[in-house]
Amino acid sequence: MSEPKRLHPAGMILDILLAIRHSILGFLPVVAIALANSEWLILGIGAAVFLGLIIVSGVLSWWRFTYQLEEDQIRIEKGIFIRKKRTISKHRIQSIDLSQNIVHRMFGLTKVQIDTAGNDNDIDAALSAVTMADGKMIHDQLKYKKRVEMDEIKEESGEITEEVEAKPKKKYPSKKITLQTLVAAGSTSGSFGIILGLFGVFFSSIESFIPDRYYTQATEWLISQAAQLLVIYGVITLLIVWLIGILQTVIQHWNFTITRYDKELFITRGLLEKKQSTIPLKKIQAVGMKESIVRQPLGLASLYVEIASGDIGQTQDTHTLIFPLMRKKHITKFLQEILPEYHYTTEGLVKLPTRALPYYIVRSIILPTIVTIVFAFTLTKFVWIPALAILLFVVYAYIQFKTTGYLINGREIIIQSRMLTKDTAIVPQNRIQSLQKKQHLLHRKQKLATLDASILSKFMGRHFIVRELRQEDVDRIADWYSFRDKAE
Amino acid sequence: MREQPSERIALDAMKAWKISAHLVAIILLLLTIGAFVAVYFLDFVPYWAASIFAGLSILIWIVSAFIIPKIRWRRWRYQVYDQEIYIQNGILIVTRTLVPMIRVQHVDTQQGPILKRYGLATLQISTAATKHEIPALLEEEAAALRDQISELARVEQDDV
Repeated sequence: MSEPKRLHPAGMILDILLAIRHSILGFLPVVAIALANSEWLILGIGAAVFLGLIIVSGVLSWWRFTYQLEEDQIRIEKGIFIRKKRTISKHRIQSIDLSQNIVHRMFGLTKVQIDTAGNDNDIDAALSAVTMADGKMIHDQLKYKKRVEMDEIKEESGEITEEVEAKPKKKYPSKKITLQTLVAAGSTSGSFGIILGLFGVFFSSIESFIPDRYYTQATEWLISQAAQLLVIYGVITLLIVWLIGILQTVIQHWNFTITRYDKELFITRGLLEKKQSTIPLKKIQAVGMKESIVRQPLGLASLYVEIASGDIGQTQDTHTLIFPLMRKKHITKFLQEILPEYHYTTEGLVKLPTRALPYYIVRSIILPTIVTIVFAFTLTKFVWIPALAILLFVVYAYIQFKTTGYLINGREIIIQSRMLTKDTAIVPQNRIQSLQKKQHLLHRKQKLATLDASILSKFMGRHFIVRELRQEDVDRIADWYSFRDKAE
Repeated sequence: MREQPSERIALDAMKAWKISAHLVAIILLLLTIGAFVAVYFLDFVPYWAASIFAGLSILIWIVSAFIIPKIRWRRWRYQVYDQEIYIQNGILIVTRTLVPMIRVQHVDTQQGPILKRYGLATLQISTAATKHEIPALLEEEAAALRDQISELARVEQDDV
């Protein structure tokens, strides 16, 4: 089909940058020690040697990396000392995603990520830099050429019974986020906790580079300021952090667009780094929505899917966002358009019985109670602080109790729960891997039971746990779940 | 899930569990002896600490060797249907588990030295996300069950 090709030379730069970024953290302690002992020469030589190694290995691995597109497969060869040859058949490929970061964009390049069905990341292949045209070519070649035939095969095996019967050249439903929503998503993201943490790390790490003299001076100056001023500084810092949070969300999810194709969802997003991801419908295990405590009163929610394994998706998050933010009342319509296999409704949600409430309260106040007792003996003066916390935890437990519930809706179960964020998940019966009913002695006396339904997700699998449901409710769910003939 | 599963595991399971509890107790005994030796030779180890440790060890031994195996055996039940596996276990918290056949990825039997002595084996059932066990079945029974389940699990899997 085609000759073995190398990646674009800019791939080298990318690889080298990546290698430096990865190793920098590991070397930080060594550097710190060397700096503290003023071993400039050794540090310099070390850094030079190390950099040289990285560059040499970057160039070599670029040299040794070739890919070759064949009839219905892609062949990749790589490795400096150990040669690896890998052939990926087109039929095994689940998704091919193109993404571009800043370096890619400067050279008009793209990264091609090829995902196969396996859980093993090693099996998947990535071409870190090819020209945009080549990337598109690879994508089309491996993905769409035999598409029609595959569909036919699937249809024969009776897999598709949905109403998504393809009209010729139909327009695929698609949703795009507006800037307004994006800003709203950023301002309610609550990620400023994380950014605040980063701020802290940043300052504590540069602290050691500031001579003590300035440090004490600054501290003295700070203390000499009036308390009100300190509060104002605090507020300003928070505000800045908040704005950074908004900016971060806007950059990450810029032009977030989700499109529904016949058998997959397709997401593009990102301002500086353009990302595509393809989510095959077959891999979706559950659909859910999250309402954080900030967003819930505003009637806003974010939508996500749980996918079985793979490298698909944005970050290390266990689930994958399919829409960053939307009004709750629009969710039903959104799902109808984008994911008609899943139905969202909370009407007739079965709540917990009142006798379950004490369990929730006891569970949540154990920790603050212990703290209170410890305080009572040691810092008697301040014992009111943890005591107040107990009260807060009681309220939390009550809200948690109020939120929790389930609903059987045809072949799907909707499970609503709350950690702090309210989480409503739609799980199809055939995606639940196993179902458990748990009862201890008191539960049995009170006819309560805990439900534990596990599904497959990116890492270990996710457990949907609903504590202290009525026993008969759990039995009903088990009957619904059971594959046995109910006639027995 | 209203009725409990019908089948029980092998009676010898109790003996096997008892023996492993004894083995743990021996380790605890050695530690206790060590503690008293420490009291004798080292000034800063108080006598009462070693005594508490000894007491706890005895308690653990009694509970784990003479009380728990019986309850555990009584609780452990399983039933294999054509479409699913139904398991009950737990001492304080009783757990009943349903594993559909079409979710079963593989079945293993497994046997340690203690189980081997009594001709027992443990059956392990794995789905894509979870792992389940039926401990201490008779060897032949475990093997038969393993084959039966893997046969039943061969019904065509819709994805994952």
